[in-house]
Amino acid sequence: MTAPENKKPLNNLLILIGIAAVLGVVPLVTQEAYFLHICILALLFGALASSWNLINGYAGIFTFGHQAFFGLGAYGSALMSMKLGLSPWVTMWIAGVMSAALGCLISLPVLRIRSIPHIAIVTLAFAEIVRIVCSNLTEFTRGELGLWGIPPFTSFSLPLIGPVTFDAAHKVAYFYVVVLLWLLIVGITYWILRNRFGFGLRAIRDSQIAAESLGLNLTRYKTMVFALSSMLAGVLGAFYAHYVLILTPSSALGIDIMIQIVAMTLIGGIGRLLGPTIGAFILTFGLEWLRGFGEYRMLIYGVLLVAIVMFLPKGLASMRFGALRRRKSTPSP
Amino acid sequence: MFSMPLPLFAEQIINGIVLGSMYALVASGLTLIWGTMRMLNFAHGEFYMLGGYFFFLLISSLGLPPALAVPLAISLVFLIGLAVQRLAVHPLLGRPQWEFSTLVATLGVSIFLQNAALHIWGERFKTVPYFINGTIDIVGMRLSYQRLLILAVAVVAMLAMWYLLRRTRFGMALRATAMDRDAAMLYGVNVYRVFTITFGIAAALAGLAATMLASINSISPWMGAPLMLKGFVVVVLGGLGSFPGAIVGGIIIGIVETLGVITWSSQWREVISFTVLILILWFRPWGLFGVKES
Repeated sequence: MTAPENKKPLNNLLILIGIAAVLGVVPLVTQEAYFLHICILALLFGALASSWNLINGYAGIFTFGHQAFFGLGAYGSALMSMKLGLSPWVTMWIAGVMSAALGCLISLPVLRIRSIPHIAIVTLAFAEIVRIVCSNLTEFTRGELGLWGIPPFTSFSLPLIGPVTFDAAHKVAYFYVVVLLWLLIVGITYWILRNRFGFGLRAIRDSQIAAESLGLNLTRYKTMVFALSSMLAGVLGAFYAHYVLILTPSSALGIDIMIQIVAMTLIGGIGRLLGPTIGAFILTFGLEWLRGFGEYRMLIYGVLLVAIVMFLPKGLASMRFGALRRRKSTPSP
Repeated sequence: MFSMPLPLFAEQIINGIVLGSMYALVASGLTLIWGTMRMLNFAHGEFYMLGGYFFFLLISSLGLPPALAVPLAISLVFLIGLAVQRLAVHPLLGRPQWEFSTLVATLGVSIFLQNAALHIWGERFKTVPYFINGTIDIVGMRLSYQRLLILAVAVVAMLAMWYLLRRTRFGMALRATAMDRDAAMLYGVNVYRVFTITFGIAAALAGLAATMLASINSISPWMGAPLMLKGFVVVVLGGLGSFPGAIVGGIIIGIVETLGVITWSSQWREVISFTVLILILWFRPWGLFGVKES
């Protein structure tokens, strides 16, 4: 229970507000579409990795199927807005609730297991089922051909600011939406860490047996964190769908997404409030900078993963590699 | 499926056993690594993939006969396995959070090898011819020689493994390490050498499965991942760390898949085995042969 983020709660809050303020003025400085696109991706993945961090960094449950919730949110929101004609602003949240339901479902077998490898296997298998089902149901999703014709977010008008339009050329509006989503997720994490629920989660991470003996309802805590984390991932998936406007099972549900999340979180620092975001910015901008090596992207990811756990297990947000305290390993779950 | 004539049904069961014996080879490597090092090897599918490519290159570029290409290919995979263990796994063992960090490190190795293969050998699928052509008719069942040969090789490999584990000094050291690492160390077993060699053997078993399946499935940089996931299903079904569990689990999954594919369709093959996996973890997380602890 000595996670460093509790020592200076005010500092963290100030940093958060500072970052949000800096992000808020970015479009006033530059509106260059390409730069904003990279920022949007970095924030999207930073937020996604932060939602994964809730289960992994704080509750200490290593899941490997987060892409399922992201993809379900993306496909769910896209299909609802296309087939039912609902506004993406509405379907986005319905998709989030759907993802939360799926998260509760997968938490059921996970609740019974404590071994790290078993949980990794069961969540990965689950995500693969979702991906295969999605690519086989071609009459709905068009499979690997790709689902296109997804409506962008509906434009609206704000007092003082005027009309806010969402189209491919004007990324400013999308940028502000993703900043708000990122702020929502990091804010929720920050808030959770400071209340009873967050202390419970970290108690579970440090020792499930101790937490249980102190009267913590493990089932309730775990199910709740699964539901919350997968809901947030689903909402982000929906944003992704209405931003890129084309989805394929491998782009929205592929294991590559999970690998990126793991790499970003580990680089930034797992179990740290801003770790995943820092990692996301480093990897997204770093790989853009290495654009000449574009085709070696995944090769670099592979080497990076080995190098991080080998030489920088604590991540760049440094301090503590708080998650997954070493437990006496047992061969059974 | 139920309206199927009996010989055809029996034929499918045998095909399932043949497929399952290859799953068993892949899974027994995973289970050996788990049993000794207590870690999950996410790069296992890539050993399988490399086995396929080495075999293809030895056959097509050097023109070697399969009888020579198979042992050479699996020796190469064995050496790669040793190198991966030394470079990416060994330094992490015993460090804090090694259960998690070895998993991430082998995942990194897997991504690296997969993309290296993509850059070196390209996206095009490679194929190798059958070792032997022709089929044999036994009591109304039509079985190809190729599949029977695969089954024979699997049986020989399993017997060799059994001999290695039960009748050699190395096998004794390996079992001692699996039982109690510290006690084995006290008795003079060089457990780190055991770890490295076990990793190599596990890689070689995956490579062997690839050489056998190369003529049935094609060779590509992505061929490893589905097999590794199947291996996970099998080891969870059989119980992680149990060698007999890996064999029985492999054969069960092979049969279930083969029958499932006739009943539904081949695009649902993976869904069937992953569903089996989740159900097992739900109701019997320690598997068929694993020991329930705490």
